[in-house]
Amino acid sequence: MSDLPSGAALLALARDVLLSELMPLLPAERHPDALLVARCMAIAQREAETAKTPEHELRGLYGAGTDTDEPLRRFARELRIGAFENSRDREVGARAILWRLTVAKLRRSNPEFLAANGFD
Amino acid sequence: MSRFLAAASAARTVEITALRRLRGGALQENWGLDARFSGGPLDGEQRLVLRTCAATGIAASLTRLQEFAVQTVVFRAGVTVPEPLFAGEDPDVWGKPFFIMRRAPGLAAPDRITGDRALDPVLPALAERLGRELALVHTIRPPRPDLGFLAAHTEAGPAQQIAGFRAYLDRHRIPHPVLEWGIRWLETHIPPPAELVLCHHDFRSGNYMLDGAALTAILDWEFAGWGDPHEDLGWFCCKAWRFARLDREAGGIADRTPFYRGYEKSSGKSIDPRRVRFWEVLASVRWAIVALQQSDRHMLDGERDLDLAMTGRRATECELELLMLLDAGGNFADV
Repeated sequence: MSDLPSGAALLALARDVLLSELMPLLPAERHPDALLVARCMAIAQREAETAKTPEHELRGLYGAGTDTDEPLRRFARELRIGAFENSRDREVGARAILWRLTVAKLRRSNPEFLAANGFD
Repeated sequence: MSRFLAAASAARTVEITALRRLRGGALQENWGLDARFSGGPLDGEQRLVLRTCAATGIAASLTRLQEFAVQTVVFRAGVTVPEPLFAGEDPDVWGKPFFIMRRAPGLAAPDRITGDRALDPVLPALAERLGRELALVHTIRPPRPDLGFLAAHTEAGPAQQIAGFRAYLDRHRIPHPVLEWGIRWLETHIPPPAELVLCHHDFRSGNYMLDGAALTAILDWEFAGWGDPHEDLGWFCCKAWRFARLDREAGGIADRTPFYRGYEKSSGKSIDPRRVRFWEVLASVRWAIVALQQSDRHMLDGERDLDLAMTGRRATECELELLMLLDAGGNFADV
């Protein structure tokens, strides 16, 4: 077990210090850089808070997941050759997984973009 | 550089009075160069841009001398581009190949252009103007001996691009199922070959400049090559280039109607929406791959740059757009 506050909590605090206390001290031309740093910290914070990786979505297709990215690689390979296209149900199922993988990634890396596209 | 400029412009002397790196240009460096020319056709104060390569790049772009040649051709065709003046590759002058062009006034900032409500009233007219400008670019057709180096780029049709995307993904460290799915759709929907024209291949908000409401320059010709004219139309409308206004499908500045109207009136040709859609899907895949390549420059090529490192994350935005384009109404209710 790690010490407390957790890494995610430290990142959240550090980001707040950056934006509220340090950024006003920076010249205006460096504000875009500071905002970029803050954005990176927010991504790292959200990723640290999310234990579940998107690969668990593939268990229904390929069985119990492992720590490797092989199920995701296999899914990508099969999509490349159209392996789901001979069955309507399999194709719909594959697309549902694609949606979930994508939305899960964006929830961590860019929730603002999700919201701008009408996703909660 | 002073001696180079003097020799190239038939000036007695050239004094460089200011030189500063300009913002923007992920793949190229642009330097604002102010100079005082004594004698020759440029006699007097001149505001110029020196364009050269960044420390690392991606393979698809033209060399600076080739880009200079393209910009010269489009300038002569009447496209609104900064007048290209001189090009050089003597390493004693700048250390790497470069070209010099006039500096257009204004800003290219796409967030500001798409997000500034004060500009809203003029943006439909801007979209129409950009449609006309693009039609002018597309009047340039092969064969063109002065663009002979583009022969190497004629094999850049959709099938070749698809092969390139897959080859890249095969080398990439992380699998990308959504991109594979989008590329598979592309592979099975390739339109019949089009009459080739000169395509800008990065014609979008962020690559033109406005001075107030006036269009002053179309920039960044490094990806130009022969292609289907709908490729540029699809790229311009791709969601990645709408910035502050995702709802305005023509580059975040207007709906498609004025943009298409300007293009069709100027070119005398009808736009085929199905072809645009194909190229718009391809645009999302292409931008995703470019975004991944940009972060490769940080992770693999050693270019320490937070902006580049973060750009790879934008590939997922393209993946969402692919799903929205190709599976509208898809099964995401339980997401």
